[in-house]
Amino acid sequence: MSARLAVLVFPGTNSEEETLRLARDVGIDAHIVHWSRAQTLGAYDAYVLPGGFAHEDRIRAGAVAAHDAMMDAVIDGAQRGKLVLGICNGAQIALEAGLVPGTGPVRKPTAAFTRNGPVPKFVCKHVYVKLAIEPKRCAITAGLPQDALIPAWAAHGEGRLAASDEHLREITAGGHLAFVYAHADGTVDASATPNGSAMGCAGLVNAAGNVLAIMPHPERDAWNFNHLDRREDGDVLAPSGGAALFRSFAEALR
Amino acid sequence: MPALRSFRIGGLRDDELAKSAKEHGLALRVDELRRIADRLGRDPSIVEVHAFDAQWSEHCSYKSSRHLLRKLPTDGPTVMQGPAEDAGILHLGEWKGDRYGVVIAHESHNHPSQVVPFEGAATGVGGIVRDVLCMGAEIIAIADPLRFGRVEDPESHQRYVAQGAVDGVGAYGNAIGVPNIAGDVYFDERFDDNCLVNVVALGLVKESEIIHSAAPANSVGWDIVLVGKATDTSGFGGAAFSSVTLDEADEDANKGAVQVPDPFLKNVIVRASYRAFEYLREHGITAGFKDLGAGGIMGCSAELCSSGGFGAIVDLDDVNTALENMPPEVIAIGETQERLCWIVPPDVTPQILRIYNEEFSLPQIARGACAVVIGAVQKQMHYVLRAGDEIVMDVPIDFLTGSIRDPLAVNEPPAQAAVDPRERFVEEELDPSEVFAQVLGHRDVCSRAPLFKQYDAVVRGTTVIPRGGADAGVIAPVHGSPLAVALSVAGNPRYGKLDARRAAAMSVVESARKVAAVGARPLGLTDCLNFGNPQNPAHYTELVVAIDGLAEASVALGTPFVSGNVSLYNEAKNGNAIPASPIVACVGGLQNVASVVTMPLKRVGTILYYIGEAQNAIGGSVLAEVLGVNAAPLPQLDLLRARMEIETLLGAAGEGLILSAHAVSNGGVLTAVAEMTFATLRRTAIGVQLDDPCVWTQGQIGDLEALFGESGGFVVEVADQERFEKFCEDFPFVHEIGMTIDQPVIAVDEDAFDIRALHEAWAEPLTEVYV
Repeated sequence: MSARLAVLVFPGTNSEEETLRLARDVGIDAHIVHWSRAQTLGAYDAYVLPGGFAHEDRIRAGAVAAHDAMMDAVIDGAQRGKLVLGICNGAQIALEAGLVPGTGPVRKPTAAFTRNGPVPKFVCKHVYVKLAIEPKRCAITAGLPQDALIPAWAAHGEGRLAASDEHLREITAGGHLAFVYAHADGTVDASATPNGSAMGCAGLVNAAGNVLAIMPHPERDAWNFNHLDRREDGDVLAPSGGAALFRSFAEALR
Repeated sequence: MPALRSFRIGGLRDDELAKSAKEHGLALRVDELRRIADRLGRDPSIVEVHAFDAQWSEHCSYKSSRHLLRKLPTDGPTVMQGPAEDAGILHLGEWKGDRYGVVIAHESHNHPSQVVPFEGAATGVGGIVRDVLCMGAEIIAIADPLRFGRVEDPESHQRYVAQGAVDGVGAYGNAIGVPNIAGDVYFDERFDDNCLVNVVALGLVKESEIIHSAAPANSVGWDIVLVGKATDTSGFGGAAFSSVTLDEADEDANKGAVQVPDPFLKNVIVRASYRAFEYLREHGITAGFKDLGAGGIMGCSAELCSSGGFGAIVDLDDVNTALENMPPEVIAIGETQERLCWIVPPDVTPQILRIYNEEFSLPQIARGACAVVIGAVQKQMHYVLRAGDEIVMDVPIDFLTGSIRDPLAVNEPPAQAAVDPRERFVEEELDPSEVFAQVLGHRDVCSRAPLFKQYDAVVRGTTVIPRGGADAGVIAPVHGSPLAVALSVAGNPRYGKLDARRAAAMSVVESARKVAAVGARPLGLTDCLNFGNPQNPAHYTELVVAIDGLAEASVALGTPFVSGNVSLYNEAKNGNAIPASPIVACVGGLQNVASVVTMPLKRVGTILYYIGEAQNAIGGSVLAEVLGVNAAPLPQLDLLRARMEIETLLGAAGEGLILSAHAVSNGGVLTAVAEMTFATLRRTAIGVQLDDPCVWTQGQIGDLEALFGESGGFVVEVADQERFEKFCEDFPFVHEIGMTIDQPVIAVDEDAFDIRALHEAWAEPLTEVYV
């Protein structure tokens, strides 16, 4: 029996369907679990926290959801080595829950994905993210090549990593900076970052490498037809680069 | 009958009655009030008179437009359901044995947005997605045609409106998780006191799973179930506070009682409703479903039951309210947001309540929110409201919801003068280099990205062409299938000022063109008719002739109207109306998403063609504004040729001959070419060498008019010149205009323009308004 993945739906989540779809397309036994079924979460082997506006992003994106009863099971599972992937709002929730970078106590975040800068507005932009760790450093990225470049859509109002200098040093020293924003050719500079995020951070991983949080949406660049830089030829219904991260996730769950 | 608090009509003189109606905040005219008393054979109760005031309002009854709208063609092979309910449905295609329909609805939220832009625009989105949802559909996309006043002054109310409305559309659409894939925005002084915020929503539904907004056959005794936000005092047209007194304690709550959008609650209600659809399908149950809009609980339940041929009895004590002691007319007619209404068999009701109240725990999502039984369908064709132990309303339901018509004066329609395409209106012979940057930087041409980049264009993961990527947005909503849907909007106020009829026809043609430009076949249309005060013959005449123009064009193109909306009384303080604004949205279908055509130029050394005919008539064009030419008429609109242009493009695209395409609209051919080059800047820039215009206009048309005039058509990029010209040999209006080059310039004859410099002129202007 293969590992079962729960796609969590908090009140306000809005990306569960495309996340479920891609997970199943790459062969993961994935299921949607609503907040009213929180008590069933313990029975799953892995978790995805999808995008949206869980609990209306009150206080700060992810801050309230991090204290939702559903997160008890996720935090417990993460501590016992279960794989957890947070995307966009899910990344914010994972960070607010203290699962990433994981350098502080649970639900006592040492950093935040906060209001975009310099323009403090929601931004919808096609981006690329570059794997900034050894692929094997994180179970979910283990199947990706070195320096993997993944197309995705940034679509958030609070994606700017902010933390004290000390905590930022922890993030770099501990190898928690999993993804950085990059250009289509793989080059990395400040102009590739759409939201002023510290160190161009697009994703974080915890010390044990079983929890990954990524701000842009790879599941929205999952098929060639929704890849903005698609080639003229080629099968538009075939998977695009965004699916690579989920394929690697699927391998980790086998 | 209704014992207490009746509204006196009998025995009052007309002037007394008019005064009393005004005091009660009623819009009903004296003759309408007397008609009600005559039919009822008594004075109506306070609740009844407010009910008629809502149902007989323009918003609900279309009393000044319904008979005109009958002129629009509403049938055809692509129509799955015409304009009978909250939304129309177009046939997209088949996949794995199912026939898929695209649901489309179009609405305005103009007046609220002018006063409270953020909430007004957000509730506009909230309302239109409910119209689509209640057909049993999944909500798959939205679009937002916007019209604002002059925004140059940072301190102006117009700037506040233009920013707030966009924030509101974004905040609501993003939160419920629906991609915003199309829209447009125009700025004009005549929108200073009257912005337009139109919203379009698309849904996806299998033909076999459509849910209707009517009480099903044999539904006598079925439950009427109210779902959503607790009913408060919002949206009771001022009448609530002028005609009743609420408890002192509630005063603060009342002050805050404006229509308040709650996208967070809506997100949950939408998902719970999808679950309810699933349950009803699994158990083969037919139900009725409708959203609450104008007229609130009363309007929605009355229309649901009367369209099924039944009456209804509703107990207002059972409604979940936000305040104590709300007057019955406010509970019955107030327009609290985020509410829907089901008609279901009593044995199914517990499951529906369980889905909303337990599985999706509405009561925990928002205070007082829930699903609750408020009444039942009855055989007797009467609409009855109970409050406490009294009956506060009991009227013949068809009298309440039946169609009424206002007798309105119409002026002699202006003659449609034929325009000689060769007659020139440009005196000074300017060089293109003197106007190009001005045209690209014009408020109606410059980049809209600063505005729409705050809209989520890709949530749901189905987006093929996001907002701004082409003339129309494209999504592939049926997972695993190659079916794709295109959506565009059109409606140019500069044209509306000059000629309401031709402007309306041009809206239809331009919306269809934009859909064709991405390789999609136009399936059908929806319209939102934004006009002035119908009591003013000049303004009403514009509406009458505009509908003629819509009908004429949609017949000529073979694209029917399946839904629409009318917004009148868009009048400024000074009595000036907005420009005639017939705004049209077009849905296109692609049987194979692989054949989608995009806007960026693809290769160097390819040939550019103009599919269309340049004219010297530059009336209403951006060029005319830049040059200060006021006397020119709109270009002649040849509907047959417009259709042939579309067929030529679709045919060539079907043969795989089109590498990229762009419809020619604001700013003309050269602007279209420029935008095709701008779209290459995110990769290697591709430039263009254009021929001298007199070559492709046979010297009949002035250079400026040929390059910047707005005569419609398309610019297309073609690789296989021989096959393309063979394909087009029967079409006289296909002209080779230039070729693509590997330098980042647009060269026109001997002038060469740097693409990056042009791009800057085009990209900058709105960044100041939308940081």
